[in-house]
Amino acid sequence: MNPHFEERNGVRVFIHGGQPQQPRLLDCEVPDCEELRVVLPLACNVAQGLLQALEGRRYRSAVGRILCGGAAHLSYHRMVTTTDQQRPYDYGQAVVLDGYITFVSGALTVGRDAHGAPLLHCHAGFIDRDGQQHGGHLVLDRLVVGSEPLVLRLCLFDQVAYQVKPDAETHFNLLHPVFQEAS
Amino acid sequence: MNTAAIQSEAQVQSGRLGRLVVARLKPNEDIIDSAEALCASHGISLAVVRGGLGSLIDGELQYLGRSGMQDIHVPGPGVEILSLSGEIAPGASSLQAVLADADGKIFAGRLQRGRNLSFITVELTLQEWLPD
Repeated sequence: MNPHFEERNGVRVFIHGGQPQQPRLLDCEVPDCEELRVVLPLACNVAQGLLQALEGRRYRSAVGRILCGGAAHLSYHRMVTTTDQQRPYDYGQAVVLDGYITFVSGALTVGRDAHGAPLLHCHAGFIDRDGQQHGGHLVLDRLVVGSEPLVLRLCLFDQVAYQVKPDAETHFNLLHPVFQEAS
Repeated sequence: MNTAAIQSEAQVQSGRLGRLVVARLKPNEDIIDSAEALCASHGISLAVVRGGLGSLIDGELQYLGRSGMQDIHVPGPGVEILSLSGEIAPGASSLQAVLADADGKIFAGRLQRGRNLSFITVELTLQEWLPD
């Protein structure tokens, strides 16, 4: 199938290259969660600092927010068009920023890769030192805290993981909720 | 504005957060409709958004202006969700989002029902509110 747009009820929909699979909502229920507040210091690599903070804790995945803070260096991606017929949209080259960067929003998922290791997925909004707004897919292992500590809130849960798996409809590797006991 | 909803006294409710619903929305699913369907299928009457991350085909936000609700169109595809917050209640959900377009420009507002469809994926985590 060639990916293309259609209109349904006045709203644009996108038909991906792969066959749509049912059900359209995938979900798992967890009885409760553990709350964490993480403050990463200046010059800390965020991926390393966050994974270190989670080390030894009993959890399969987590979701959270960037509450406040700044960065001295970061790298993020925006969606671009490609020449790949089956995957006509993908993340483009990294946009790299240095200097004083102020976070204004951010969402974070800690999932699991194919080997069970933690996998970080983050989208955030921030303002550079010239006052320009930016937002997109943030690469946490290229994010260095700067100007002020970075404060994150996380909700950790056990028994269910956001597990990365290939998605036949979109041809992306995506996080899927699956039942899974903590190791 | 719905004047029937205006109350003269503050309402205070004590309670706690309960079960989590950890979900993925496949392409072309609306965020509000999906969140309400997830709550209904888990028997949850009120929930808060704990996590929301992914991309939309187009973003359709709104805010209350001097002449009524004003629309904000965020052209996609590949509108990134930078933040999602709010409450889910059957037929009366109110969700706010911060979005970025493909140029990295940021937009914020209230989500319009039925018009914010998942592009590649949306990771959505809800938690039920249990009043005392």
